[in-house]
Amino acid sequence: MAANPTVVPVALTAPVVQVLSASGDFSNLREIKKQLLLIAGLTRERGLLHSSKWSAELAFSLPALPLAELQPPPPITEEDAQDMDAYTLAKAYFDVKEYDRAAHFLHGCNSKKAYFLYMYSRYLSGEKKKDDETVDSLGPLEKGQVKNEALRELRVELSKKHQARELDGFGLYLYGVVLRKLDLVKEAIDVFVEATHVLPLHWGAWLELCNLITDKEMLKFLSLPDTWMKEFFLAHIYTELQLIEEALQKYQNLIDVGFSKSSYIVSQIAVAYHNIRDIDKALSIFNELRKQDPYRIENMDTFSNLLYVRSMKSELSYLAHNLCEIDKYRVETCCVIGNYYSLRSQHEKAALYFQRALKLNPRYLGAWTLMGHEYMEMKNTSAAIQAYRHAIEVNKRDYRAWYGLGQTYEILKMPFYCLYYYRRAHQLRPNDSRMLVALGECYEKLNQLVEAKKCYWRAYAVGDVEKMALVKLAKLHEQLTESEQAAQCYIKYIQDIYSCGEIVEHLEESTAFRYLAQYYFKCKLWDEASTCAQKCCAFNDTREEGKALLRQILQLRNQGEIPSTEMPAPFFLPASLSANNTPTRRVSPLNLSSVTP
Amino acid sequence: MASVHESLYFNPMMTNGVVHANVFGIKDWVTPYKIAVLVLLNEMGRTGEAAVSLMERRRLNQLLLPLLQGPDITLSKLYKLIEESCPQLANSVQIRIKLMAEGELKDMEQFFDDLSDSFSGTEPEVHKTSVVGLFLRHMILAYSKLSFSQVFKLYTALQQYFQNGEKKTVEDADMELTSTEEGERKMEKEELDVSIREEEVSCSGPLSQKQAEFFLSQQASLLKNDETKALTPASLQKELNNLLKFNPDFAEAHYLSYLNNLRVQDVFSSTHSLLHYFDRLILTGAESKSNGEEGYGRSLRYAALNLAALHCRFGHYQQAELALQEAIRIAQEANDHVCLQHCLSWLYVLGQKRSDSYVLLEHSVKKAVHFGLPYLASLGIQSLVQQRAFAGKTANKLMDALKDSDLLHWKHSLSELIDISIAQKTAIWRLYGRSTMALQQAQMLLSMNSLESVNAGVQQNNTESFAVALCHLAELHAEQGCFAAASEVLKHLRERFPPNSQHAQLWMLCDQKIQFDRAMNDGKYHLADSLVTGITALNSVEGVYRKAIVLQAQNQMSEAHKLLQKLLIHCQKIRNTEMVISVLLSVAELYRRSSSPTIALPVLLQALALSKEYRLQYLASETVLNLAFAQLILGIPEQALSLLHMAIEPILADGAVLDKGRAMFLVAKCQVASAASYDPPKKAEALEAAIENLNEAKNYFAKVDCKEQIRDVVYFQARLYHTLGKTQERNRCAMLFRQLHQELPSHGVPLINHL
Repeated sequence: MAANPTVVPVALTAPVVQVLSASGDFSNLREIKKQLLLIAGLTRERGLLHSSKWSAELAFSLPALPLAELQPPPPITEEDAQDMDAYTLAKAYFDVKEYDRAAHFLHGCNSKKAYFLYMYSRYLSGEKKKDDETVDSLGPLEKGQVKNEALRELRVELSKKHQARELDGFGLYLYGVVLRKLDLVKEAIDVFVEATHVLPLHWGAWLELCNLITDKEMLKFLSLPDTWMKEFFLAHIYTELQLIEEALQKYQNLIDVGFSKSSYIVSQIAVAYHNIRDIDKALSIFNELRKQDPYRIENMDTFSNLLYVRSMKSELSYLAHNLCEIDKYRVETCCVIGNYYSLRSQHEKAALYFQRALKLNPRYLGAWTLMGHEYMEMKNTSAAIQAYRHAIEVNKRDYRAWYGLGQTYEILKMPFYCLYYYRRAHQLRPNDSRMLVALGECYEKLNQLVEAKKCYWRAYAVGDVEKMALVKLAKLHEQLTESEQAAQCYIKYIQDIYSCGEIVEHLEESTAFRYLAQYYFKCKLWDEASTCAQKCCAFNDTREEGKALLRQILQLRNQGEIPSTEMPAPFFLPASLSANNTPTRRVSPLNLSSVTP
Repeated sequence: MASVHESLYFNPMMTNGVVHANVFGIKDWVTPYKIAVLVLLNEMGRTGEAAVSLMERRRLNQLLLPLLQGPDITLSKLYKLIEESCPQLANSVQIRIKLMAEGELKDMEQFFDDLSDSFSGTEPEVHKTSVVGLFLRHMILAYSKLSFSQVFKLYTALQQYFQNGEKKTVEDADMELTSTEEGERKMEKEELDVSIREEEVSCSGPLSQKQAEFFLSQQASLLKNDETKALTPASLQKELNNLLKFNPDFAEAHYLSYLNNLRVQDVFSSTHSLLHYFDRLILTGAESKSNGEEGYGRSLRYAALNLAALHCRFGHYQQAELALQEAIRIAQEANDHVCLQHCLSWLYVLGQKRSDSYVLLEHSVKKAVHFGLPYLASLGIQSLVQQRAFAGKTANKLMDALKDSDLLHWKHSLSELIDISIAQKTAIWRLYGRSTMALQQAQMLLSMNSLESVNAGVQQNNTESFAVALCHLAELHAEQGCFAAASEVLKHLRERFPPNSQHAQLWMLCDQKIQFDRAMNDGKYHLADSLVTGITALNSVEGVYRKAIVLQAQNQMSEAHKLLQKLLIHCQKIRNTEMVISVLLSVAELYRRSSSPTIALPVLLQALALSKEYRLQYLASETVLNLAFAQLILGIPEQALSLLHMAIEPILADGAVLDKGRAMFLVAKCQVASAASYDPPKKAEALEAAIENLNEAKNYFAKVDCKEQIRDVVYFQARLYHTLGKTQERNRCAMLFRQLHQELPSHGVPLINHL
């Protein structure tokens, strides 16, 4: 605004804002801060609270402006002045959620601000009525039929204005929202893109766009304005589309240019790490975030998931109590408490809290899935299936729900049946080893060993989280008496464990050494065999066998055989294996012979 | 931002994490349309006997059931329907609705208060348990459960409904009177509304549970019995999606969607729908059954079984087997013999694809009888019969078995199985080469009134058995040279089973085969060749065989030989005896045409042995024909003649016209050949007889348009006349020959070498 003080804010239309945010780079942080403050004010005036909150949060993370640079409030125009009284009254009504009343007093106002508030109140009033209606609709089947009655009229009016090009950025945003609610997705996307061009600073429009874009291809074909807001949008949508590495890169860039204090970015990074299951990093970032912003509730459900995975009872308990004190009727709070109870194995209570979360927001997907998990724990498979199906209905791309369904059927001893579900999950997360291992196990149960091998190998190749794929693969090879491959797998497995440097006790370590010892023994590689046998002695369950093998080796050597190895091979790696068989993590396309519907 | 707009609409009527589809236990609720129907019922009760004539009353009564069951329709449509049956009643209904809608809320309240009066009194107008009575009581109950705001909502909905109806009628009347000014306004409005309207046109509103159930069962039965009458796949899917949008818990819709996807061979969507259905069913099953665990496990078993069926239908046999194993395992654990029985039948179906072991099947039939599953039992018997027929069992045993299972069908009125049984008999008779019997059976099926027709009001069902019978009929007619009739039958088939429906492949193959045969008869080999690809697409074995025949006809002997040898090995592997014999015959012909009839003889004998063993009479006589011809070439016409006398009878009785012609032609040739050694008077007599036979053969050939054969016959006749010194006849025949010879290209095959 400072750049062009003569332009009145009512006419806050395309040219002005584009001047403001034409820069695609972050060289001028002060300018960005000014813009953020301005947009925070504008959105607040229009009752767009979440956008306002977002902008304000981001503005807060940038250094404060000196007095001289602070912007004067935007000047008032003739139109605004005319509508001033009506607007003030209506805004007051709006703030206390008397939407119809607000709309009534705004009727006939001409200024853009008043018009937007007028339309927006009508929209919200319709939504509110819809919610109320649902409770006593005429019949259960009508549940899905209850509609926001205002939407149609709003659409008609807005589309007229849209055709006449009288809508400003906010108006376009509202038009888009109306279209989306009417399930006119294509039109909605177009309108939102237009809105971002006209008013790139409004985060709400970007966020709506995020919800409508389902894959990378769609994203490619959008023509978005080249502003710094785009970077935030891209980072956000990469996170949504599970393109975590790209997202992290974007966020790192944003931090580098000076947004390091933004709690929004920090939380998004934490969520991203959570998504790629880098638990330690995510945990530390969340802890940091809680220090910065102790009363934050958003994303705390993700945090609690992490604590749950690590079984950090006390921390989870602390978090739950803390959140409960802040606001116990928030979806996130209920979810955290649910997780807490689940960790304490009080599954009924956990399910209760997830249900409460769903009552607060039925489209809160995570709760459906988590509730499914709880029912699984309670051995109530039918309820679990139901919960998972609900989750899928809310979002078809929820891989955890598909995975959960698969697990349920696996528990019901239907390995073939659950293949379908695991495959769906695998399609959604092609690089997640858990689905692959699950698929492999099913194939193993169905005695489809070739397929199972493929799955395990692939699981190893994409980076096995639980480190079990190789052992399973080795055992398969063992079963098929492919001793060489089995030995290779065990070797890789042991290498993997040692290279990780984890002290965690691996149950299968002893098995691996035992097999290797016997394998080398058969191959008459005495040195290697005895090394492995010695290793065996370190474990309780294989100690006796190890000792027996050592004795045998000694005996055979003493029988006068010259040790076959002139050049001692490196630790348990025979030359034949180490030379060209270093585990190549080349990911070949997973070609399961079965039909994959 | 999204969460701001996200409604909190959720109405968590759930216990134990399960949302009840049917919260109040009401399957129906009051809608404005229902009110209109109630008004109609009320009016019908009020008007006495005198006002409405008997005919009109009957028509009204017939109208009622669809009105009660069907989906909501607009007021104007309803008026129209009533008007068609009884104009004066339509008028009074209209007036009453108008009064109610334009009056006050209390009018509606009063109306519902008065409704229950129809039950009271010493002689109530409506019986409480009648269809109408149940409907009335449902409605009264549903109405009294409405809350304050709901009642008001219903009333406004009624007003809206009434106004829409009025508008519609006014619009209809005003169509030509619209003033320009108004038109403009309308145009503007329409422009905006157009996209909205398009979306809403198809979905006429949500169906109540009862209406939905009715819709689903109707469509499902149509899919099974008469696909052409059901909605098209696309529109049915649209309806289903609509239904599911309003009630995602309506599991049966998923199943119908599965069936619908099967129709269009969409493996992905159908798997998806099937699994979704069972996921949903599992919960409802667990809910509704008192013995919860039992019902739940049951649906699991059937889920696996259905999955197996699905994979089998798409030809994924390995997958199907895995799924089936799973079903069997679970069923065994649960001791569910009925399910196991179903599994066993499927196991046979799957096993059949690999090798024919009838042990399983016999076992299945016995067990099914034991557990009292008549449908499964007779389906088993039918499969068994089919399998045994291919294995060469005697006809009387098979027919006995079929007769026994028929008894079972009639007892349990399994009309579908009766149809199958008759179609099967047709096929078996044809396999044995008894065309007359086959014809008779096919006609019987077609002229039989289906048992279903009593219920569904459909004359005949478009099931697979009908398609099979009609195809046989077409082929039989074509064999007899009635090509017009055959193509008439095919036209009918095309109408009844449109090209994209399930059973269309049957008649497509049949059509192509007939065309192919005609082209071969005509000597249009290029045309036949072009048909081969079509046949191969539908049936690869048949396609390869036909390809070989074309090659042979085009004198590409070595290619034909290679192909035939390959086919022979393949057919022996899959135990397709019929095809093996046909191939052997072709091979023999090939040898003979390559002037080595001696090699052909053992092949022919092998074919003869096979066809005798499997009692394929038609093929047997064909083989005898070939044998006789070989003998003729080898110079033992007397032997050939005696052999022919053996075969001629069945050929003339049941054979195709072409074969009859060939047989007669061969007889004549043999007669001439054997007459060579006779003394002159006897010889002349024999030649006369031969000419007679040739005339007959010519007639047969003319029926099926075999110009090439006719040419040969005429040539032969000319030579015979010449020998007999009948110049005039000879010249006539020679002229005919010349005409035909000019028409047809000569392939340079020696005349004598043609059977």
